[in-house]
Amino acid sequence: MCWFSFSLQKDADHAVVIAVTSRAVFGSGADDDEVYGEGLAFPLLQALQRVNEHLLMNNPAELLLFDIVLLTTDSQQQQQSPRIISSTRHYGLEVGRFCFSSEEDFVENLLKNNVQLFLSTDRNEASQATQRGVLSALLDHQTASCPSEQLKVLFFGDAVIQPDTGPTPPSRQAARSFSAQLGEMQRRFTMSDSPLSIGLVTWRGGRDSCADALHTLRSRGVRVDEAYCLAEAPWGPILSVFRPHFLLSDGFGGLEG
Amino acid sequence: MSLNNGQTLTVSGQDMTKNGSSNRAPWDDARTGLKPSTPTRKPKPPKPENAITIVVSSRVLFNMEKEQQIYKQHGMEEYIKYQVEHETEPFSPGPAFSFIKALEAVNTRLRELYPESEELFDVVLMTNNHAYVGLRLINTINHHQLFIERFCMTGGNSPIGYLKAYHTNLYLSADPVKVREALEEGIAAAIMFTPEKMKEVSETQLRVAFDGDAVLFSDESERIYKAHGLDKFFEHEKTHENKPLDHGPLKGFLEVLGKLQKKFYDKGQRMDCPIRTYLVTARSAASSGARALKTLRSWGLEIDEALFLAGASKGPMLEKIRPHIFFDDQMFHVEGAAEMGTVACHVPYGEAQRVTKKAIKDKEISSAPK
Repeated sequence: MCWFSFSLQKDADHAVVIAVTSRAVFGSGADDDEVYGEGLAFPLLQALQRVNEHLLMNNPAELLLFDIVLLTTDSQQQQQSPRIISSTRHYGLEVGRFCFSSEEDFVENLLKNNVQLFLSTDRNEASQATQRGVLSALLDHQTASCPSEQLKVLFFGDAVIQPDTGPTPPSRQAARSFSAQLGEMQRRFTMSDSPLSIGLVTWRGGRDSCADALHTLRSRGVRVDEAYCLAEAPWGPILSVFRPHFLLSDGFGGLEG
Repeated sequence: MSLNNGQTLTVSGQDMTKNGSSNRAPWDDARTGLKPSTPTRKPKPPKPENAITIVVSSRVLFNMEKEQQIYKQHGMEEYIKYQVEHETEPFSPGPAFSFIKALEAVNTRLRELYPESEELFDVVLMTNNHAYVGLRLINTINHHQLFIERFCMTGGNSPIGYLKAYHTNLYLSADPVKVREALEEGIAAAIMFTPEKMKEVSETQLRVAFDGDAVLFSDESERIYKAHGLDKFFEHEKTHENKPLDHGPLKGFLEVLGKLQKKFYDKGQRMDCPIRTYLVTARSAASSGARALKTLRSWGLEIDEALFLAGASKGPMLEKIRPHIFFDDQMFHVEGAAEMGTVACHVPYGEAQRVTKKAIKDKEISSAPK
């Protein structure tokens, strides 16, 4: 079941729909009576909103905007649905749709709402969504919670490189179109005033793997701002310095659990 | 910022560092039993904690002067456009190029003697450049057959976080600001200059030349020299001959070179060692030189040749030695060396910087494009 926030409706044909779980946005634990505390994905939501603001500043008639869907699968939080809605209002979060769903059929909800990217702190949820062809990313403490002026997206290049054979999994198709839309958004800005920063990191392989990933992203119209070719050096420093809000593995390779 | 070696990255629930990926690295073939002499097998880069990590910026490794001009005169967008249009044209070598080639020659020899060891030079390219320029840099590395598999294109952000995290043993850049920042963080670093005409250097033996005070040693003696002149300095040093000097920013780099040299000596290759180190100092053999040598000995370090110039110009001596790289804290000596074709680097550390700050501003190359 989904409740629409009428004043914040985006054009369905052009908006980039991103679903985030309320568990990720609002922390559990010591909260105010009326309102939830800020969770892991809170800065991420603010960054998405900032991108929208910049897009609209450039062009008040802009239709290519992020459309946020707040998904609640947690039964405890579901019982407090008014509190979720009032919390978003309290923090000035622009949520287009509130969806309440069980763990069993939340993916249906994602598909019905044409969600192009699903963000969750729950590994199982992310896995289920990917298997049904919805591009997903797992949020964790290393990445999601850093406040930043820009929306920072990090592509994991090992998965960007195309395999030679086999049919394209639906989640990969979803990844391609999502990244193309990010590229489209980037083109609304120059390099020095972009509210969006895109990074690429390749871990396996050397410089040629990174070159392949750069070519692939370029062919999708994505402008890569920062690139790191690690050749199996540790990840940690890249995450600590780049501080992505989320990582995209392109949905490649599926999830073996 | 903390380094987490055990970082397990999960994306969409999958552990990305598992062997499940179907992308095979060029060195994966080695595990299926190819002979070491097979030419297509690329050696695997060593783990950063085991390697001697040399980080170079794109502007010192390659000649990007023309592109620099475009950036200065026409701005970022034009610069990027030009780079992309010329993506398949490799850059020509810059001042650090022969140094890097010599490091690779040492690696080849080390691999022959110690095939299992990861104590090798690992060259990392660190550039301020936007990833757009990345493809041209990769094409250039391929063209010149350099062994560089790691790089960071920071799109304008400071490299310091990465330098620290990847155990950098030496950082070379044309940007004085970044080099000073690195030195402040305790990383050996120097500003590299391009000589008008570079003299030919050995392709088989790496030669590294160091100034003594404020490079290998602290600048404590420089202060005496500045305050009281050369004669007083010589006197003071003779009196304090047996008191080791404090260490300077490049002591650690000399130390790792010495460690590698011992690996060759242990295999009976002292005469044929592919690494040679030089001390080129204004100190005099008659007086102040002894303190320098005794200090090195107290640190357990060797230097192959010590040249005491007693204040004479370093240019001609360096021209004879033909080092791949020379480090000095004084611009006067850096320029003198460069005039005679030596690739010289300025280590902006210590007493010498305070007096000559204006001279540095006039001479040093300005910052890289953001």
